[in-house]
Amino acid sequence: MGDHCEQTMRRLNTYIDRELSDSEVRNVKAHLDDCPPCEQVFDFQAEMKRLVRKECCTDDAPARLRDWVRQLGTEKSKPAG
Amino acid sequence: MDQRGVGMSSDFSLFERHLDALYRSALRLTRKPEDAEDLVQETYLRAYRYRNRFKPGTNEKAWLFTIMTNVFRNRLRKRGAPEDPIDQPGTDFSIYDQMRRDGMPVHLMSPEEIIVDRGFGDEVKHALEELPVPMRMVVVLVDVEDFSYKEVASILGIKIGTVMSRLHRGRQALQKKLWEYSGRPKAPSLAVGAR
Repeated sequence: MGDHCEQTMRRLNTYIDRELSDSEVRNVKAHLDDCPPCEQVFDFQAEMKRLVRKECCTDDAPARLRDWVRQLGTEKSKPAG
Repeated sequence: MDQRGVGMSSDFSLFERHLDALYRSALRLTRKPEDAEDLVQETYLRAYRYRNRFKPGTNEKAWLFTIMTNVFRNRLRKRGAPEDPIDQPGTDFSIYDQMRRDGMPVHLMSPEEIIVDRGFGDEVKHALEELPVPMRMVVVLVDVEDFSYKEVASILGIKIGTVMSRLHRGRQALQKKLWEYSGRPKAPSLAVGAR
């Protein structure tokens, strides 16, 4: 693994989390275009992040909780008295 | 109805729209539907009570998550639950590296094929729920709720560097659990490092 690979790997999380500046993103992308092994790792981890989100977004709040929250927002906001 | 009444009710609908996000995260934190529901209720009660402290135009989702994670941590403390170890050194692990070591064609497989398609369906949720609370909160906030590192640092009252290290270790720990669930033989060095 070359210096470039190591430098790029240190940015794995910040890259997939979109925490890098535009110029840093360009540097990472330039390396990934030249280095299929690094690109594969980045693709895999980005896919992993998407998977976590997708798998965890399946639970919606129960209807009675939704009603309760709505009630809280409407009932109590009526002027007192 | 006076002006204030109208204002308050529309303010609250701003909070209402984050109910599903709060609930699914509460589920990952508490692991139980009834506890999650209770946590979300207390979060909304507090949001309602302190609604005047919310600055309009700022991020209301982050505000609600700040309330919820605080309520959750206070509950754990009151219950006398042992603090999860935060700074234990993690073993470096990724499913990608592990499969490479095992000579699997990992570049031809997606994480979904490796983890979900051959599993029982809920392994990602289960693996997440097994992470120590400090790491779990960061992974949930970044990966599921899509908050920025800066927002997570503010929500949890920790430094950005701490967000990054917990995220890094949390993701590795998550992959390790998923790897165990998927029934792959563990390399001897990993078995020694575990726990």
